[in-house]
Amino acid sequence: MNFDARKYVLITFIVIIGVIYTLKLFYMQVVDDSWKLRAQQIAEKRREITPPRAVVFDRNGNKIISNKTYYNLMMVEADIENLDTAKFARLIGWTMEEVRQRFIDIREGEGYYTSPITGKTTSNYQRVRAYPFMKELTADEISHIAPHLDDYPGFFEEVSSMRNYPYSNGANILGYLSEATREEIEADNFYRPGSVIGRAGIERFYEKEFRGKKGVHYIVTSALNNTVGSFKDGKYDTAAVQADPIHLGLDVLLQGYGEELLKNKKGCIVAIEPSTGEILALVSSPNYDPNLLVGNRLIKENYPKLVQDENKPLFPRPLASEYPPGSIFKLAQALIGMQEGVITKDTGFPCTKSLVGCHNHPSAQNVTQAVKMSCNPYFYYVTRRIVQQDHFKNDWEDAEWGLNRWAKYMNSFGFGLRLETDITGLRSGRIPNSEYYDRWYGHHRWQFSTIYSIAIGQGEVTLTPLQMANLAAIMANRGWFYTPHFVKSIGEDGPLPQFREKHKTLVDPIHFPPVIEGMRAVVEEAGGTARLARTPGITICGKTGTAQNPHGKDHSIFIAFAPMDQPKIAIAVFIENAGFGGTWAAPIASLMIEKYIKGKISDPAKEERILNAQLSNFQ
Amino acid sequence: MRKSQSVTGSLDWVLVALYASLMIMGVATIYSVAYDPEHPNIFDISQKYGKQIMWVGVSMFLGFLVFLIDSDIYRKFALPIYLSVISLLVIVLFMPPINGARAWLGIGSMGIQPAEFAKIGTAILLARYLSSLNPKQQSVRSVLVANLILLVPMALILLQPDAGTFVVFTSFLFVMYREGMTYDPIVLRLVNAIPGIKFKETWVGSHFIPILFVVVFLSVVTLLLSNTTIEFESFPDLKLKGIYGVLSFLFLFVLVGYLIMRAIFPRRERRRALVIAIFAFLFSGALSFTVDFAFQKLAPHQKERIELVLGLKEDPDGEDYNRNRAMAAVGSGGLLGKGYRKASVSSLRTNHVPESETDFIFCPYAEEWGFAGTLLLVVLYIALLLRIIKIAERQRSKFNRVYAYSVAMILFYHFAINIGMNIEFAPVIGIPLPFFSYGGSSMMSFSILMFILLKLDSQRKDVLN
Repeated sequence: MNFDARKYVLITFIVIIGVIYTLKLFYMQVVDDSWKLRAQQIAEKRREITPPRAVVFDRNGNKIISNKTYYNLMMVEADIENLDTAKFARLIGWTMEEVRQRFIDIREGEGYYTSPITGKTTSNYQRVRAYPFMKELTADEISHIAPHLDDYPGFFEEVSSMRNYPYSNGANILGYLSEATREEIEADNFYRPGSVIGRAGIERFYEKEFRGKKGVHYIVTSALNNTVGSFKDGKYDTAAVQADPIHLGLDVLLQGYGEELLKNKKGCIVAIEPSTGEILALVSSPNYDPNLLVGNRLIKENYPKLVQDENKPLFPRPLASEYPPGSIFKLAQALIGMQEGVITKDTGFPCTKSLVGCHNHPSAQNVTQAVKMSCNPYFYYVTRRIVQQDHFKNDWEDAEWGLNRWAKYMNSFGFGLRLETDITGLRSGRIPNSEYYDRWYGHHRWQFSTIYSIAIGQGEVTLTPLQMANLAAIMANRGWFYTPHFVKSIGEDGPLPQFREKHKTLVDPIHFPPVIEGMRAVVEEAGGTARLARTPGITICGKTGTAQNPHGKDHSIFIAFAPMDQPKIAIAVFIENAGFGGTWAAPIASLMIEKYIKGKISDPAKEERILNAQLSNFQ
Repeated sequence: MRKSQSVTGSLDWVLVALYASLMIMGVATIYSVAYDPEHPNIFDISQKYGKQIMWVGVSMFLGFLVFLIDSDIYRKFALPIYLSVISLLVIVLFMPPINGARAWLGIGSMGIQPAEFAKIGTAILLARYLSSLNPKQQSVRSVLVANLILLVPMALILLQPDAGTFVVFTSFLFVMYREGMTYDPIVLRLVNAIPGIKFKETWVGSHFIPILFVVVFLSVVTLLLSNTTIEFESFPDLKLKGIYGVLSFLFLFVLVGYLIMRAIFPRRERRRALVIAIFAFLFSGALSFTVDFAFQKLAPHQKERIELVLGLKEDPDGEDYNRNRAMAAVGSGGLLGKGYRKASVSSLRTNHVPESETDFIFCPYAEEWGFAGTLLLVVLYIALLLRIIKIAERQRSKFNRVYAYSVAMILFYHFAINIGMNIEFAPVIGIPLPFFSYGGSSMMSFSILMFILLKLDSQRKDVLN
């Protein structure tokens, strides 16, 4: 038998194998993309780099928020191999029990999800996700751990930054950062477990402007999860971009001075630059050092204390507390009365004291005197004329029409509406209109005599201190204002467009001078209610207010602007339960004005008196 | 009889060129895989690339020695050569195990693997024995002796254990097939027992029916399935090992065959058909079980080695870690590859594919050069194999031909299994890619195998048929 033909069988066999292998290789390498994805999963890792948040400067270029570098020890459970718990615990200085508990806590911390369809409960925790195992380690702490991390696949260090407040002032303005919640992480792809998010103040309002752009770094990793190098020499990497610096209109030194003056008092100061609407200072007392709420460790320690503090230091009073404005409200009443033509600047009313109480002073012969002496009956008559204009025979109908007209004027001053300042936690105060009183008394069941306390800024009327300061700014500008705001410029872009829009009140500027003359007299002339605010060299125009308060002593209120011509600062000071407005609020305002305009205080005794004051309501 | 020509003049330069290009590509790939930026010199002897170049040099020197020796010496001293490699295989069993196998002889990194050289000795003795037979006088005895020549080294290698080389030894079966030394008398007797079917005289009968192909086919299927389990959707608790799948398939196949025979054959032949069917089933079943058992027994050390390298890794690739990583590396190469020294999965630095400089060297090559590279490699190997077969067929002496076929089939096995491991066509058994993989023993043994072939071929005209 001849076997030579068998060579063809073998040759065919070899060639067929060659062809099959070639086809399979073609399929795997050229046609099928799934192996490329698998290779990426195996060897390439995507690391996100979060830039430090924007730094913040005050109006004079002082850096008021900066960043400190910290480190997180991150953990990806899926990458952990043969963890020697005892050794690892020794490395990070924990007990083994703590390490085990930390794994459980991370898992539990993510919560569970029950599917509405299947009813199955699954953990939100994902083994392939990176979670911070230890947070906020200092450079010194991480330097003991990092060199050994190669022995612990699944753990890696991550640079993070935390806020630092060199001036310790303005906590209620700046807000603070804390870890993003699971809902926030799911709602916005920017956040990962352990990312921080602005919680209050401008940090929250300008979250997107603060956080910057994340960078992505693709790296090649080895089977033991060590970084071997960057993928394709970093061809696809993007750099993290820190957001542009943010410039505030705030004057941090003035802010600090205000906080100093309000020590041991409850109250607030709001100072605005009238020509721009930039907030120069916004003091809420008592307050806290913003450095107390930096990072998880400190937040965990300090936040509960601040929440439980009876003086409520976390509460942003200037924005959120609504107080009766008291006599400062009379400024608006006088202006509206003149605009409506129910009085002229020379209208006089007797100080009758029969309907509303008043202090002893001669009857006001004109608007200027009425403002100077803050005559209650005078403004009772003015407001009655505004509300009851005798357009209707029926007094009730007439009051309804008049009040709504009045409320509209008030709204144009920014009262009863939220002043949309660039911060969270704002409230609107209250300007009652017919709808409001209808709810209380019934339709056509009320008239001016029912609601007369609104005439002197009591009763149903409330304003926030921010609105009071805005009234001062309106007086300074003679009839218009920019919505008060903190951020002067993001990078070089200037303020947000809504803060470049001039709001005019419904009162014509020609009606302002007699009222402003009265405000000048309040401070400058004998018989004015705020003589303590006199400051040599600066003509301050102000108005005191003393708001009755059912819970205790009257609130001491003062608003002012200065100088009288070309005003640089408009201010409102509100001291809770401190009594007459001229006694406490006025001198504090004058100190702030002098500090801002002159940079120094000419009357140390006045300053001393304020600094040493221990007002009774402070716990 | 013509005069002896000059040594170089009668060299088969095509084969030399193919051999040299594969070796150069191998060194280049090792340089890429094991590249250490602190030792950029390719000749740096402390690095794997430097060592590999050294092994290439040593192989060249051995080749030079081979060319000095008259080719007749292999035929004359076939038995002593065979016996000496056998004794090496015995000695190596008393060596301390490395990675779970007693495969290394010598000290440290300078050791050799006798199993690699056993192939040469076996090829020579098999050639010697088969050439001494008169083809017309095939007997049970000659088949047994030929198989004994294979079985002795195979048994010793199994004791090491070294699954890869053990499997490679079955390549000699193809050589025996080429020489008519197979089991076809048995097969033909079985087949011709079926009345009405006379395969004996036909081309198909004598060249395709040989039981060798049944054996190869069944073995490959069994090997591929032996690590899998079969699951049933309706019985989730029932999990069958892959071998039972093979057996069920065989049973069905034989049953259908029997039923067909029953239908066709006259009544008196049915009993014989039943007997044939039972024996066919028993034989193939036993074969499948043997292969499965051998693989399962040998596989553990293979698995252990992988776990040693990686630690117990929890990974979506799970049990088939190596192969999945290898396939990811090969598959991610794309059409033109990631570029030289740009392998991200299979370089030694990332180490996602274990043994990527030795048994899995195809991975980095495929990852870096893409389909363009792998096509070239497959073409080069197929060209090399066909060239060797061509050389084999032009030999006047039967000794030369058998030896040449042995070389061809050994290389074919290495090529098919090594590359097949990466593309899911062969089980993961560690054998090197000839001339390519890092390693002194394989480089030297393949080179000697090649140089003896070249020497025999250059002197083919001196030999009387």
